[in-house]
Amino acid sequence: MTWQSVIDGASYVLFAASGFFFLAGSVGLVRFPDVYTRLHALTKADNLGLGLASAGLALQSGSLIVALKLLLIWIVVIVAGATACYLVANSARNSGIEPWTGESR
Amino acid sequence: MPGSTTPPSVPRRLRRTASRTALLALVWVVITEADPHALAVGIPIVLAGSALSLTLSPDSLTPIRPSGALRFVRFFALQSALGGIDVSMRALRPSMPLDPAIIRYPLRITGTWPRVFLANTISMLPGTLSSRLDDDTLEVHVLDCSRPVVQELAEVECRVADLFGSDLPPLTKGDA
Repeated sequence: MTWQSVIDGASYVLFAASGFFFLAGSVGLVRFPDVYTRLHALTKADNLGLGLASAGLALQSGSLIVALKLLLIWIVVIVAGATACYLVANSARNSGIEPWTGESR
Repeated sequence: MPGSTTPPSVPRRLRRTASRTALLALVWVVITEADPHALAVGIPIVLAGSALSLTLSPDSLTPIRPSGALRFVRFFALQSALGGIDVSMRALRPSMPLDPAIIRYPLRITGTWPRVFLANTISMLPGTLSSRLDDDTLEVHVLDCSRPVVQELAEVECRVADLFGSDLPPLTKGDA
């Protein structure tokens, strides 16, 4: 049980969790009923998936500056994702797309 | 909001230039992984970047409170993770529990930048998504309207106000 194998194990867990959330976000994109609910799935699940993947990669890199770079990338993607999400939701609202409310008409 | 203000005094402008240059220099060092060879390119780019930034937005950016920033990062890390878990479970469960609605939340926080920051933060938290930012109202799409959404939004708003070091008036009873 070396230190390196502990780090490897932790990063594999992080990668597996990351993949799970990317998959779940994609399932939401396919299953959810309208543009607004799909946006929830994509922005939130993918943000978490990327955060976990970045954490796993940072552990593997073993370097502080690379870890900071991955953190910076993650922050930039969060900002871009939230902005894109707002723009899509806002243009859907402005073009009069009503949100799905349960009863399938 | 283009310049209705008088030009800032010289020491203030110097400090503004210095802080933006320092921030951009830090970003440059991080993305080049502190490679000394990259500095020859980096120094002119960082200087050009801060000059451009000061031209485009000469006014001071809303300053943040460091202690509030620390509290906000802790809150955001946990809540955005919960947001991802929550929506993933809804997507994967065969019954797909969704009860969406659109609510209008009257904003107490002021200032363009804090409001935009709040709207983007809300989109990352469990079950809420900003869809329109009007004069003083934020329109939010919620995944599950049985949750106490207004209290949750008020909580996030307090956190963002804490980050920018401002105080909020108490929440008035106005259920969406």
